[in-house]
Amino acid sequence: MNKYLSIIFLVLLSVIFITIQTTLLSPHNLGSYYPDLNLILIVFLAIFSEIRGGFFLALGNGYMMDVLSGNLPGTFAISRLSAYLLVRSGSNHVYLRKALVQGLVIFLATIFTWIFILTIIKIKKGDSADITAQSILIQGIVNALVGVPIFWMIHRINARFQK
Amino acid sequence: MKFLKNRAVLITIVLFFVSLQLYSLNFREKSSQNFISRIVLTVTYYPQKLIYTVSNKVTNVWRDYMDLVNVRQENIMLKEDIKKLRVEKFELAEAGIQNQRFKKLLDFKEIPSYPIVSANVIGGSPSLLRSEVVIVDRGSRDGISQGMPVASSEGIVGKVLTVGNKSSEILLITDPVSAIDAFVHRTRVRGIVKGAGGGCTMEYIEQNSDISVGDKIISSGKEGFFPKGVIVGTVTNIETKGSFLSAEVSPFVDLESLEEVVIILKSNNIVLNE
Repeated sequence: MNKYLSIIFLVLLSVIFITIQTTLLSPHNLGSYYPDLNLILIVFLAIFSEIRGGFFLALGNGYMMDVLSGNLPGTFAISRLSAYLLVRSGSNHVYLRKALVQGLVIFLATIFTWIFILTIIKIKKGDSADITAQSILIQGIVNALVGVPIFWMIHRINARFQK
Repeated sequence: MKFLKNRAVLITIVLFFVSLQLYSLNFREKSSQNFISRIVLTVTYYPQKLIYTVSNKVTNVWRDYMDLVNVRQENIMLKEDIKKLRVEKFELAEAGIQNQRFKKLLDFKEIPSYPIVSANVIGGSPSLLRSEVVIVDRGSRDGISQGMPVASSEGIVGKVLTVGNKSSEILLITDPVSAIDAFVHRTRVRGIVKGAGGGCTMEYIEQNSDISVGDKIISSGKEGFFPKGVIVGTVTNIETKGSFLSAEVSPFVDLESLEEVVIILKSNNIVLNE
C-alpha cells in the first residue's frame, strides 16, 4: 500500500512541478534564471526513489517537458531518461547522501542533458540553438542551489510512504 | 569495448541514437498531436488555471490599490479626454459614411472578417530550448485547431502549435521556426519576418529597397495564414546580408508580458484577402 502511495505522491509532484515551471517559474519570463524543477525531480528519482516505476516516471516527466515546450517528442524525454540512468547507475555511492555531492550531481545532470540535446541539434540541423554556455552554467548553478533543499523536502515526505 | 559492459552507458548510447532519429523529423512536419499530448495538456490545464486565477486576483488587488492612489487626478484627465473623444467620434462617423459611399462608387470588395475567440495566457514554456511558447486557456472545445493565427489588440502574436481540450500552445512570432510574409507599410517593400529569439528579423529584402529605421511592418496576407494588414513591428536596424537587406524588427506586442490574446478562427487552407 505504501509503495502505491509513494507512486501517487511522485506522480502528483511531477504534475505540480511542471505546472509551477510553466506558470510562476517559466523561462519565458525568467530567462536562464529558472530552476528546472522537472530535472531536479528526475535526479531525485534516480538517487533516492526505491520504486520500480522510477524509469517510467522519468520518461513521463521528460515527455511532459516535450509537449508543454512544443518540442518534438523525445527531445527531453530521452535526454532526461539518459540522465536518470546515468545517475541511477551510481546511486548506491555513499557520498550521494551528502548535500554538497547532491548539488554537484544536479549541476552535472543539467550540463549533461543540455550537451545531449544541443549535440543532437548541431548534428541534425547544422546550427546551434540560441543557448549559450553561460546560460547553461547559470541554470546548472540555480538547479543545484534550489535542488538540494527540494531533495531534503521530498525525501522527508517520500520516506513516510516508503516505510 | 570494456565500457559497453556498463549497462547504463550502453543504454545511454542507444537512447542517444533514438533521439537522433527522432530529431531527424523536421519540426514543420510535426504530425497532428497524439492522444498523449492532449492528455498532458488537459491534466496540466487545471493546476495552471488555478495558479493563473489566484495570481491574477492578487495582482488585481494590488493594481486596484495603486489605482486608488491617483484616481482623483486621473478622473479629471479622463473627463477632458472624453470631451475630445466625443468630437473625434462625430468626425469619424462622418468619415465612415463617406468611406462607404466611396467604396460603393469604386465597387470595392469587402475584406472578410473572421470570428475570433479571446483567451488568457495561463502559462509559458517550461524549457529554455523553446521559450517562445505560451499556453492559453482555450482548446478544441472552443473551436481552436492547429495552425490558427493569434493576435492581440496591438498586433500579431503567433500561431496555434498544439491543441488540448481546454488549453492550447501558441508559438510566438519570435520563435526561430516562425515566418510571416510581410511588407513595409510606408513603401510596400516585401520580405519575410522570421523569429530570432527575443525579436524578429525581416529577410530577403531586395537591395536598394526603400526601408528605414522606424518603418512599420505589416502582414501581407500572401502566405494565406495571417490576415492582411495586421501590424508586426517596427524596424530598429538595417544591414546588408549577402545580396539582400536584413532588418531587425521589434515586435509591436510586448510578448514578454502577454496577458490576453485573440485566436482568429480561420482554417489553415483558406487564402486570406487574395
